[in-house]
Formats: sequence, structure tokens, C-alpha cells
Amino acid sequence: MTQAPTIVSAGRGEFVRPDPDAFRAYVRDHKERRLVNKVISEQEAIARFVSDGDYVAYDQNIAVRGPGSLFREIIRQRKKNLWVMAKFTWTDVSLLIAGGCVSKVDVGWMESGQVLNQAVKDGRVKLVEWSNGALAYRLLAGSLGVPYLPMRYLGGTDTFEQSGALLTHDPYNGKPICVVPALNPDVALIHAHQADIHGNTRIFGAGVCPVEMAMASRKVIISAEEIIDAEAIRKQPQRTTIPYYLVDAVIHAPFGSYPGSTPGLYGADLEHWLAFAAAQMQGKTDDYLDHWVHSVSSHQEMLERRIGEEKLEALRQAETVKEGYYD
Amino acid sequence: MTDSPTLSFTDVEATICHISHIIEEDKLYFVQMAGAPLMALLLAKRLRSPAVGYVVEEGAICPDPDFPLPRMMLGASRSHYRAVQWAGMNVVDAHAALGFMDYGLLAALQIDRFGNFNSTHIGGTYDQPERRFGGPGGANEIASQCWRTIVMTKLQQRKFVEKVDFISSPGYLDGTPGARERVGLPPDTGPWRVVTAEATFGFDSATRQMRLDALAPWTTAAEVLDKMEFRPLIAGSLDAMEVPSEAELKIIRADIDPGGFSTSRGEWMTIDLASGKKVA
Repeated sequence: MTQAPTIVSAGRGEFVRPDPDAFRAYVRDHKERRLVNKVISEQEAIARFVSDGDYVAYDQNIAVRGPGSLFREIIRQRKKNLWVMAKFTWTDVSLLIAGGCVSKVDVGWMESGQVLNQAVKDGRVKLVEWSNGALAYRLLAGSLGVPYLPMRYLGGTDTFEQSGALLTHDPYNGKPICVVPALNPDVALIHAHQADIHGNTRIFGAGVCPVEMAMASRKVIISAEEIIDAEAIRKQPQRTTIPYYLVDAVIHAPFGSYPGSTPGLYGADLEHWLAFAAAQMQGKTDDYLDHWVHSVSSHQEMLERRIGEEKLEALRQAETVKEGYYD
Repeated sequence: MTDSPTLSFTDVEATICHISHIIEEDKLYFVQMAGAPLMALLLAKRLRSPAVGYVVEEGAICPDPDFPLPRMMLGASRSHYRAVQWAGMNVVDAHAALGFMDYGLLAALQIDRFGNFNSTHIGGTYDQPERRFGGPGGANEIASQCWRTIVMTKLQQRKFVEKVDFISSPGYLDGTPGARERVGLPPDTGPWRVVTAEATFGFDSATRQMRLDALAPWTTAAEVLDKMEFRPLIAGSLDAMEVPSEAELKIIRADIDPGGFSTSRGEWMTIDLASGKKVA
């Protein structure tokens, strides 16, 4: 008989207890197995698949291939008490906090300006420490259908103390080892280069962890720059990043990463970033949100009324690197 | 006043140049996503070690970036250009866990004598911080799993402290033998150099304490100690750090950080090239 591994120490950070069996049951009961058309509007996707209090994960960030249009729709629909994953992020967490949508943040890295600092001071937002890698790794555990995974870092630090990690012993050799709980987000928001109507998705470029995130999450929303023919997927299966049965909704969202870049297609809008930074420093994020989110009804309307074709063309021209993305 | 040629640069530029001098072409580097650590590696790559390999957190493996770099390098296509693979975070972190990454290259807000460092909050408590910062990012996994870690920071009393406000990423922890291994970190890893504009530090192999190893020509050991809250060990003979060269500064300003968007925001100094001393 082997002895149960003893817990040497445990972080105090809050996390949702992994329950792989409950996840399996959810998949059995809710995930569509048929090849059906999943293309819906961003309004419908966020209304149907994001609930107040959900754990929301997203791949990349507002600088590069993040789901910018979906962030704005979440704010527009005034979703509340979301628990978001700040894994390799930037001002996206501040944007969602400014929108009144967030009550908890799992921290890897995030921009930490006035909005975040004030929300933490006021107790409106509670933080839990991990690291970029630890969050990606928790998604990996979630994507494998196992409750936890061992890893070679976090131990010994205050980051560990404020996380939900455990220090235990390797059951095989008795050496100390850190373990982290699997993470199965309620919703994943993933912006992609291409998807077909069934949800088969192609992402080009280095990706943080879109595959693990799509596999680990209960509900998966893909926004895609381009909807491609289903036959094109069958002709080049190697290029598929995420297969259709993981996906719940597909949204056609050209410039969906705006103000960020989608590599190979368009550059980021530096002026827009400065506008958010200025709004933050001046305590005018409400004005910013009114201009970019609440006074327009959709992403498409924002592109037309707030940006315009001339600017969009300039952003396309700014992306000079094409090599490796579409060829 | 002096008639001999002078050179003006910031402390950030000097630190980038110093780190670039210790980059080894036959090693692999795991570099924090953007900012000065990546700039130091790119400077070395541009000037001395074109074949040096590095990975970044989001999964670009050994890119050969397109210069001039964009202002915002984070994950942008130009910084991932001509990589050998575009993978993801779990892949490059696993490469570090497997022992492929010789050096981690990181920046810190605060560091203690054992090389534990902070990037989480300054002042207050964790729950009620005076000022919250971005978090460890990828620094915890890099500092834990690379064989050697190089940390850059500024030489200031508030940065070299007895006790960091928060240990975001591990150095030698309490400095006792086996401290890292006892919490599950891979053996024979840890901080190797701490680089500032004025001084470079190593770590004593027995006590794991930070040790002053090298000085820039424009400063003295006494001045360095004056800028630290704790007193480090001091090497028997102190090496002399090089003054940044005109060629290095030109590459930083024109190609790596075009227009000095981030590197010009530092403490400026003017150095007399003949004596290596500060004239302003």
C-alpha cells in the first residue's frame, strides 16, 4: 500500500475546485456533436454564453490577437462579477474593470494603472496570484481532464502563498513537488484568423495557449477575421488549431482584435492605446467607454462610425510582416 | 570642463549594454516578454552573437526579429519574425523544465541579498497594497527553471532591500543549502548575476549571498554600497565594466527602441571617454 502524499504547505488563494467528472457530464449533456452552423452575432454569443459570475478566460490580450470586440460586447451588455484570467495580458483587465464587469482576477501579468489599483483598494476586485505559466499550465490540466498537475515552480515564493497551489511529495520518489489545480473556465473567448461555420478554427503565429483553453472551457466562443469554406478545412487539416466540436459559437469579426493587432493582417492602433491610457490617468474611463462601447450598438458600427475605412486601411498597411501567416 | 570626447546615455541604456556583454552565443535564453531584458539580448544578437537563441513566453522559438522593432514588442509579428517555431506558453515553459534554457533574463522592482525578487506590489500588504504592479508574469517559471538567472534593476536603496515586499519569483530563498530543492524547484538553478548601470553582482556559492563583482568606471564601491539598503559581500578584486560604445547606443536608439521610447526614460549621464568618469 502506498501512503497518501502529505501536504507540506498550501497557498491561501481562492480557486474553483476542479471537478473533471462534472466537466465530463457537462460535455455529455451540452456540447453539440453535429456539424451545424454556429455563426451568430457577437450580441447573441455574449448574451447566450456569458453569465454574470462566470469565469472568463481569453487567449492573448488587447495588444495582440485578443478578443477586443468581445471585451466591448461584454461591457456593452453590462455583465457583472466575472472572474477573469490575466494571463499574459495588458490593459484588457483594466478595461473590463472600468466597465464594471469584474470582481476577481487570477494574476499572471496585467497592466496595473489607476483603474486596477483603485478597484483593489476599494475591495471591488479581489486578486489571486499565479503566474502566466501557472495559469497556462492549469488550463493544460483542465484540457487533459485531470484534477491537477505537478510542476517545478511557484514553490518558496509569496506568489505560492497567495495562490491555490500545494507543496506536496512526489508519490513515486518522495521528493517535494508543487501541484496546481486544473482550471476549467466557464467561457473561453478566442480570436482567430479563420474559422468555418462549424467552428473549425485556424490560428496563425505563436499563441500562448488557445488549444488548451478551448479544450478546458465549458463554453467556447470564437471570433474570426474570416469565415472560410468548410471544404478548405478538409483540404488542409494540418492547419486546424481547434476542431469544431469544442466550439459553441463563431462570430465573424474583421478587425476583432482592435485596438490590438492580428499578426499577418493588421497592426495595432497606438493612438487608441494612448487614448485609453489618458482616460485612465484623467479618471475619464466612463467617457472612453461611452465613445467606444456604449454609444455604438456593435463592433461593425464601431468600425464604421468611430474608426473609418481610411484608418483601417492604414492599420492593414502597418502590418508589414506577412511571412509565415498565410503562406 | 573637458575637451576629450564624451558620451551621454541613460542608466537603462547602460544596463542593456552591460547585459549584452555577458550574452553567450552558444547558450539558450528565456527572455521576459519585452522591455529592457529583451533589448539587451537583441543588442548582443545584432552586434556580437547573431546566432544566439532565445524563446519568449508566448511561444516564439528563436526568432530573428525584423528591425526596427515596433514600439510595442509584446507578441507583435515583427518580434516573432523568422522564428524556428511558433508554439505556445506551455511548450516553452516545458523546455525550461526539461533543462534546455541556460539563462533566464528578467527585470525586477525590488531584490534582496539572496536574489529573491518582487514584481507584485510595493508598500502596504498584499490585500491592501500601496501600489500594485503587474505581477510575476513569466518570471517565476523562468527564475525557477532556467539554470542561471540574470536579473536587471536599478541601483537604488529602495530596490536593493533587506526584505522585499513580496517574493514574486525565487532567488535562493532563505539562503540555506537546498532551500530551492525543498520547495520542489529543480536543483543547481538560481540567480547568477544582478546587473545595474553602475555595478554587477554575483552570488557566493557557499552562503548564496549577493556579492559585488564589478563596477562601472564612473563609480566607486563606496558609492554603490551607499545605494543599497543591505550590505552585499564584496569580491576580492572588482572587475571593471565597459562604458557603452557609440555603436551600441546607435543600435539601441535606431533599431531596438526606435526614438528611445522606453530607454530614454532613465537617469541621463555624460561620461568622459578618456577617464570613464562622469562629467554630468
